[in-house]
Amino acid sequence: MGTDMKNRAAVVGSAQTEFRGAWSDRQHVDLITQAVSQALLGTGLRMADVDFVIDSGSDFLDGRSISNCGFLGAMGAHHKEESRVEEDGLWSAVYATTKILAGSGSVGLVVAYSKSSESDPRNFWSTLAEPFTQRPVGLDQHSAAGLYAQRYLARYGIDPEALRAVSDRAWAAASDNSWVDAKHAMLADPYWEEFVATPLRRRDMARPVDGAVALVVAAEHVARQVTNRPVWITGMGSAIDQHFLAARDATSFPAAAAAAANAFRMSGASSARDFDVVEVSAGSTVGELMVLEAIGLAEPGRAMDLYAPGSAPGLNASGGSLPADVVMATGLVRLHEVASQLGGRSAHGPTGATTGLAHGAGGIGMQNHCVVTLETS
Amino acid sequence: MTTTAGLPREVMGAMDARLSMPYTLTAGAATGVFLAELAQQRIVGTRCSACETIRVPAQDFCGDCGGDAHDLVIVPPSGDLLAWTVTDQGTVALVLLDGTDIPFLHQVVEGDPAALSMGARVTAVWAAEPQGAVMDLMGFALAPSEPVHAVEEAGETATPIEQLNYQMVLDYQHAYGHFYGSLFDGIKNDRRIRGVRCPSCRNVLVPPRAYCEACFVRTGDWVDVPDTGVLQACSVVHIEFIGQRVPPPYVYAEIVLDGTSTRLIHTVGGLSAEALRSGSVHPGSRVQAVWSDRRTGSLSDIDFFKVIDGPADE
Repeated sequence: MGTDMKNRAAVVGSAQTEFRGAWSDRQHVDLITQAVSQALLGTGLRMADVDFVIDSGSDFLDGRSISNCGFLGAMGAHHKEESRVEEDGLWSAVYATTKILAGSGSVGLVVAYSKSSESDPRNFWSTLAEPFTQRPVGLDQHSAAGLYAQRYLARYGIDPEALRAVSDRAWAAASDNSWVDAKHAMLADPYWEEFVATPLRRRDMARPVDGAVALVVAAEHVARQVTNRPVWITGMGSAIDQHFLAARDATSFPAAAAAAANAFRMSGASSARDFDVVEVSAGSTVGELMVLEAIGLAEPGRAMDLYAPGSAPGLNASGGSLPADVVMATGLVRLHEVASQLGGRSAHGPTGATTGLAHGAGGIGMQNHCVVTLETS
Repeated sequence: MTTTAGLPREVMGAMDARLSMPYTLTAGAATGVFLAELAQQRIVGTRCSACETIRVPAQDFCGDCGGDAHDLVIVPPSGDLLAWTVTDQGTVALVLLDGTDIPFLHQVVEGDPAALSMGARVTAVWAAEPQGAVMDLMGFALAPSEPVHAVEEAGETATPIEQLNYQMVLDYQHAYGHFYGSLFDGIKNDRRIRGVRCPSCRNVLVPPRAYCEACFVRTGDWVDVPDTGVLQACSVVHIEFIGQRVPPPYVYAEIVLDGTSTRLIHTVGGLSAEALRSGSVHPGSRVQAVWSDRRTGSLSDIDFFKVIDGPADE
């Protein structure tokens, strides 16, 4: 525990729905209530004990304005303080934790969700781009990833075919994760081999899925009552890069490095190597490599080494965001994964892990980054 | 009101919806000049007065140091290809125009992408008929022998383009889920309105839903709800507007269907302007659904509610 936090906050419960390519027989509210009700299970906490709700989602993806207003009841926010963060749910978790550390509540519920199957998520990504000179020339999540990938691979002399190790490992891990409908065998379909933004194929891109995730954050005095294995939040940091993709660094994510540095300053860690469990978000295979280098898990250009057989057992044991990207929620899913693994509530991840790191990204071409560190004792 | 058991024979799946939003986007000073000058086949950038970074398109603020003081410069339409990616929207590329510090995001528009190489010289390809938008510069093409040109001061520049008309069109297929699907199926096939009862507060909720929001408990029995109710609040609409479904005057109303605790937003119709002026529709009025000949499986299968005789509940 770092010295910056006088109060302590812990994750005491969390849950997700299954993540599916399409939940075509469920509304958003159905997925949200499922995750929220499960997150409270086993804690002894009831909805009446929840002081406030912070949630993440996108009006563009949801197809309605201020969409959280229609989902309040499903989130258990009836007659409660509620705020929406228009960024990945990991930022909502930071907001909730900050409120608890500041003493403005004892129990916070954090919710994130999306159903990108209800629209074309590429439209969502292109709506993020500046509309005068960026959107019309074809900037979206795929082209941004392709531009990063070409320069990253060229700079470090990596064959694009080597990226198969990244997607294969992610999908193989997802195959063992019963909460995700992705199976490694699915990649045999030629669909996944199509080039979508050279040098990247569809298998290199995060696959949008439908789902919801919920997480309960509690102040220390509550956490000690409701669980004998609180997962303490030890550090938090976020940072954002320039909006114009062309103006950013070509082959690294300095904003991810800054976010991690902020979190490490709070937690007393020196790099991501200090953590037993690491769950990161990325829009593409190369994006994932660049995140791992930014947070210090690998030297620049060396993140591919982490995908050698048997390496880094604590890295994205869930499969990460490549096989299952719940847009606007994937970062909070990473936090749920880390908290579940440290709290002994997960079927995957290394045994005996006591420290963990969750990373989320947002914006076009992963402009925005957030890092949260956790520890159990 | 009767309690029903079992699942409906059919559940409607999804609803198509489109959001079509017109915008008048304001380009601002620097981007406005950049867009306007493309018609003269000139590329305008900015040189930051503080850090001297030259960037294209021209920007009101320096993305590196945040400074807002700058000079407009004319950037040569030639440069080095730094990166490209082939997508179904074309070959999106980063070009470092001669004399600039920040690459320019645009497209490569001519030739086989297989012929491209990092560092290749490229030159601008211009649209024959400029439209006052970024695609007046269609993109870049390979130009191996193109010499390196210099950045020049802009001097007089064109009047900035102040405003761009933009239409954002987004299509959705919203899943109904089990509860809305059952409701709309009942409305379509059986002219039957179905709600659910909360086992905690005992309220009957229309539309039906998996959880009672107030109690946060899973709902219980399905309940058939009559198509009669009490008007709780209303507003007489006299004006016409785009998207209106019924010619005015009509009454926009909150209706509490008998036995329910939820308020249904619908209209009260079938009344003369005179009747409306005399206040014949008011909170407490008894109303009943007038079903349409259409069977769409939505609340518009009720044309409107009509006022009926009878004692108000309260």
